[in-house]
Order: sequence, then C-alpha cells, then structure tokens
Amino acid sequence: MDSISPLSNQTTTTTSSSSDLSRRKRRKKSPPSPPPSLEKWRSEKQQQIYSTKLVHALRELRISQPSPNPNGRAVREVADRALAVAARGRTLWSRAILSKAVKLKFRKHKRQRIANPALTQPVIATGSLRSKKQTVMRIKAKGLPAVQRKVKVLSRLVPGCRKQTLPVVLEETTDYIAAMEMQIRAMTALLSAVSSPTEHEEEGQTHVLG
Amino acid sequence: MSGRRSRSRQVSGTSRISEEQINDLIIKLQQLLPELRDSRRSDKVSAARVLQETCNYIRNLHREVDDLSERLSELLANTDTAQAALIRSLLTL
Repeated sequence: MDSISPLSNQTTTTTSSSSDLSRRKRRKKSPPSPPPSLEKWRSEKQQQIYSTKLVHALRELRISQPSPNPNGRAVREVADRALAVAARGRTLWSRAILSKAVKLKFRKHKRQRIANPALTQPVIATGSLRSKKQTVMRIKAKGLPAVQRKVKVLSRLVPGCRKQTLPVVLEETTDYIAAMEMQIRAMTALLSAVSSPTEHEEEGQTHVLG
Repeated sequence: MSGRRSRSRQVSGTSRISEEQINDLIIKLQQLLPELRDSRRSDKVSAARVLQETCNYIRNLHREVDDLSERLSELLANTDTAQAALIRSLLTL
C-alpha cells in the first residue's frame, strides 16, 4: 500500500521501494544458472543411473568376451554407449554413438547401409557424395576463417557433428562436455569403489575436473 | 530440398542465425571450460580462443576416458575379486 506512490511519502516509502528495487536489482545481477540439460549431467541421480548402467554393461562385456580379456577400447565403447543411452536420444552426439554401434553389427553381416534421414547424417562408411556438398559451414555471422577452422576441428571431435551448422555444433558441444565430465566422475568413482571397497562413499574427488 | 539457395530466401528466423545467439552459445561454452571460467574477462576472450580451449579440453577428456577404460579393463581381467567388488560397489552406490 505504501509503495504505490513513492513520490508522495519520501520518508518511509522510499526505503521500502528502494529495497524493492535493490532486491529486484540483486535478482537480475545474479549469474545465470546453467540450463536444465546441463544441470542434469551434474546431478547425483544421473550419475547413479549411469554408474548402474555401466556396471551392467561391463558385466555383460565380460560374459560375452571371456577368453580375450576385454581391452581398453572395448570398455571405452561400452562406456560411451551407456552414456549415449543415458542421454535418452535427445542429442545428436548420443544418436551418432548409438548408430555407430549398430552399424558395426550390420557391417559384420555385410549389409549395405542406406542413409536413413531420420538419423541426422552420421558419418556413413559408403561415403555418399550427396552429403559432401553440405560440408560448407553455414555461418552467416562470424565469417572469420580462424573461427571457422576451429569449429570444423571441434565438429570432428564431437560425434555426429561433422556436417552441422555452427550453433548446432556449439549446442552439442556443451552437452557433450557436461556428459563426458559425468562419465569421468562415474568411472573414477567406480574404480575407486572397486579397488578399495572398504571405503565406500568415496566420490572421485581426486580428479582434475574438481 | 532443392539446395541451399532456396533455403536462404526463406523466413529469416529459420536460416539466419543471429550473432547474439552465437555469442550466447560461446559464452555458455566458456563457462564450462575450467581454464577460462575462473579468469572471466569476458571481453578479452575471443571466440577463437574459446573454441581452441574447447578442442583441447575435449581431447583431454577423451584421453582421461581412455585411461580410465584401460584401468577398468585391467580390473575386469581379474575375475573373482572384480566380480565380488563390482557387486559390492553396486550395492553401496
């Protein structure tokens, strides 16, 4: 009631209105919280879900490959696939990882894989020329060649982003980095839990990422 | 799809990406990088630098995951102790 006309009562209302303003100002000045998709990768629950999936997948790996002991490459692929599943198919990189795994299975049966437009352009082994025409990055702003080169390198690092536009690559990169950080935390925690099982509740904090 | 030419004549909202949007994405990316996050002189860090650091960071992450995978695979090689320990860790997680 008092804060309606700040001009009339300058003694009491100004303090309340200024505190209102300062409160409002303080709210605006607070740093933007990371978007919900990135928060998801930082939550404990997500890490537990991933760790469980990973343990199951590793156990299956050991059962399926008993005599040649699973090498690091196989474990890496299992971990990546579990990570992609944890992403629930909402990102390009996760779909690309999963389609890569499926493609390897089909290659064993020597089937010719037809480019499926539903899977947004994963790297196809047949090397179709049609998709090569779209390699040019559609950057309207930031036409600097240095930036373009770096984005191209970046797009090669993130799975499934080789022929994508700049904002898509950046978007995928942020999610991919958050997901990989969680993957590393989970694997570290798993390793420490397994190698020193007496100390449970040990989070993988001895880690670079901190 | 008759090619990119027709697409560029479309409504500007779909095909033209604003500079501001790109800048926002790059700022968001910068905040993820541990190197650039702490010394956040937002004006001085160029987009090229952010992208370079991102590439390096992703390569580092890949290397760490590979290293962890190696260690996990060594662990899987020891059969009984690993099995029991994995089950135990699953229960305590």
